[in-house]
Amino acid sequence: MATLVKHVLRRKPALQIDQETGADTNGGELTRSIGLAQLSMFGIGATIGTGIFFVLSQAVPVAGPAVIISFVVAGVVAGLTAICYAELAAAVPASGSSYSYAYATLGELPAMAVGACLLLEYGVSAAAVSVGWSQYLNQLLGNLFGFQIPDALSQAPEQGGIMNLPAVILVCLCGVLLIRGASESAKANAIMVSIKLAILLLFIVVGIAGWNSNHFADFAPFGFSGVMSAAGIIFFSYIGLDAVSTAGEEVKNPRRNLPLAILIALVSVTAIYIAVVAVAIGAQDSASFEGQEAGLSAILEQVTGSTWPGTLLAAGAVISICSVTLVVIYGQTRILFAMSRDGMIPSIFHKVNPRTLTPVPNTIIVCVVISILAGFIPINFLAEMTSIGTLVAFLVVSIGVIILRRSDPDLPRSFKVPGYPVTPILSILGCLWIIKDLRTVTIYVFLVWVTVAIIWYFAYGMKHSRLGAKNRAELGSESES
Amino acid sequence: MTLLAGYAPDGDSSGTVHLATLLARSSGEPLVVCAVIPSPPPPGMARVDAEYHQQLRAEAEAALAKARADMPSDVDVTYVVHEAQSTSSGLLDLVHEHEAKMIVLDSSTAGVFGHVALGSVTSRLLHSSDVPVALAPRGFRTKPGEVVRRVTAAYSGTPDQDDLVLAAATVAARVDAGLRLAAFAVRANAQYTTTLGTEGDSPVISEWAEVVERETNAAFERVRALPEIPDVMESVISHGRNWAEALEGVEWDRGDVLTVGSSKAGPLARVFLGSRAAKIVRYSPVPVVVVPRSASTRIVDQAEAE
Repeated sequence: MATLVKHVLRRKPALQIDQETGADTNGGELTRSIGLAQLSMFGIGATIGTGIFFVLSQAVPVAGPAVIISFVVAGVVAGLTAICYAELAAAVPASGSSYSYAYATLGELPAMAVGACLLLEYGVSAAAVSVGWSQYLNQLLGNLFGFQIPDALSQAPEQGGIMNLPAVILVCLCGVLLIRGASESAKANAIMVSIKLAILLLFIVVGIAGWNSNHFADFAPFGFSGVMSAAGIIFFSYIGLDAVSTAGEEVKNPRRNLPLAILIALVSVTAIYIAVVAVAIGAQDSASFEGQEAGLSAILEQVTGSTWPGTLLAAGAVISICSVTLVVIYGQTRILFAMSRDGMIPSIFHKVNPRTLTPVPNTIIVCVVISILAGFIPINFLAEMTSIGTLVAFLVVSIGVIILRRSDPDLPRSFKVPGYPVTPILSILGCLWIIKDLRTVTIYVFLVWVTVAIIWYFAYGMKHSRLGAKNRAELGSESES
Repeated sequence: MTLLAGYAPDGDSSGTVHLATLLARSSGEPLVVCAVIPSPPPPGMARVDAEYHQQLRAEAEAALAKARADMPSDVDVTYVVHEAQSTSSGLLDLVHEHEAKMIVLDSSTAGVFGHVALGSVTSRLLHSSDVPVALAPRGFRTKPGEVVRRVTAAYSGTPDQDDLVLAAATVAARVDAGLRLAAFAVRANAQYTTTLGTEGDSPVISEWAEVVERETNAAFERVRALPEIPDVMESVISHGRNWAEALEGVEWDRGDVLTVGSSKAGPLARVFLGSRAAKIVRYSPVPVVVVPRSASTRIVDQAEAE
């Protein structure tokens, strides 16, 4: 029993992670070149745009106009976790995800569980985003050509369709790009962010014309628990804030700039979200949100009585959400790649094509699975699964901060959480609080999913673990000598 | 067996002369320097064509005289003016006539100094030659008495490059040069808006490097089975954000020659540059020998038969 515990909690030494990822560095040390303004913009750009375009139709029916408070709650928790994330990113020299951080701080089994959560954060959110994309595509097609893809081909079975074909096609196209080794340049990213900001601004400026204070009369029809459930649903609108944390090594004066940039990005993003939500609720009754597709675009048309603002918004959303899908699928393939290199999942996931330098079988499998999710599962379920996966991954990161402070207090950290230990504890409590109010079915499915991951670990990961093989080899050579 | 050097009939191809002497001196093969001029058109009413043709021939002779003046004395050279419908087909005629085993050409004058630039004739030959084509970077010069010291084969670990490696090893062993296997790759910029940080792709690169290393060692094992093997065998892996960076990431010395194989997609017997090989050729700072797959096989078979 003692050996089993030792196995499942074996940690990957931070130094080893460093060597593995930096094995062939031409250059190695990254120069500290990113300033505060750039970093904040980076955070805003990475965060805005995933959830806000389609999450309102799920969140507003749950919370009513009080969804504004849900955004604040989700934002605060996201900010706290992002700060914890920054400390781990600084302490564990691996470039990577919460999976690598968990492996270095908590051990192999927790890392496997976090990996399973990340499959939700990335894989399932890619599916959710592409379903949202298909709604805007349909809106755009309808406005421009008077033609919409029939429900049979643009809805999940549960909503009366056969499959969501546009979403599947988008995922496959992203897969093709990733296999070819395409990557979004910094410039392309800046353009996409500008489009996203511009259409949200368009929505706020035009939509405010339809303001009706009466819509706020019944502010919190479902009380506090409604607010918290909505916070759970919309939490995934804040995914990406932790992108700031991972840039740690390149940031000038990280001690000051990292938390400040997270704060600036958080406040700006929350402000934009709240403006959008307030305008949306001002424009239509809370009840009308239910089941509304391509929500922002539809509201604009309702307010102005003409189609062009909605068309413009839909066009912007169609373009910018494409890039979000691409980036998220990319993240998913690279996380599976790291897990496969550690022996946690089969080695086919870390086969690299020498011509394109991309993990081709990995990308194909990921895209097939994501397109099945996108084609057949309704968006509200996908959104909630994404949120719970992200929350648990963040939860583990916050625990990791505390554990690493105790186990390796002398490890050099270029950034430390301010207000330790209050901040990580608040972050943990915040995550738990939001998770508690998610739908029961979501929590059950999540628990089943994590259980499957744990069974998988004992059936496969523990035996194939590279770290385990390495330890055995070392033990063997010691006993021989 | 000879080497065939194509000399521009109207101008200066000192790069060709320098590369051709380097290769001829290293291998001990005789050298044929040729200038190809258009064959005379069918006789017409006016005699102008014949006069024009005379003029071309005179210029070509003059160019070859210049080549002769540049030529060091330790190489066995013949000079030929050849008439053909096109320069590339003329060169191929001469290859068969002299049983040449390699064509040596200079870079286009439109290229950048120090890099290989493909001109129209070269591009055509790279699609039609069944013998290796050696290309000098623009402005290529050698010192008197210099020989090839190291043959670098571009090898990324795919099975279709096996013959190239063996051929490069055979030739390197024959000319007393070392063998180096070099893997080049261009990595895309990491998608930094994910939460994986700016180095999100570095595990992929490390994994690729490990695979290449394994394949390279296996290739060295196969080389050791050859009857004659080079004294020095080394390998290098280089990647960059673009091909220029990837090629610069490797150290290059005097006496280095880079060889690349023709693509799997092209006809078996002929040179056909794949997109990756074409880029490696373009950014190479040293002379490049492009080897058609049939030629690699031939060289290896001969070596094994001897």
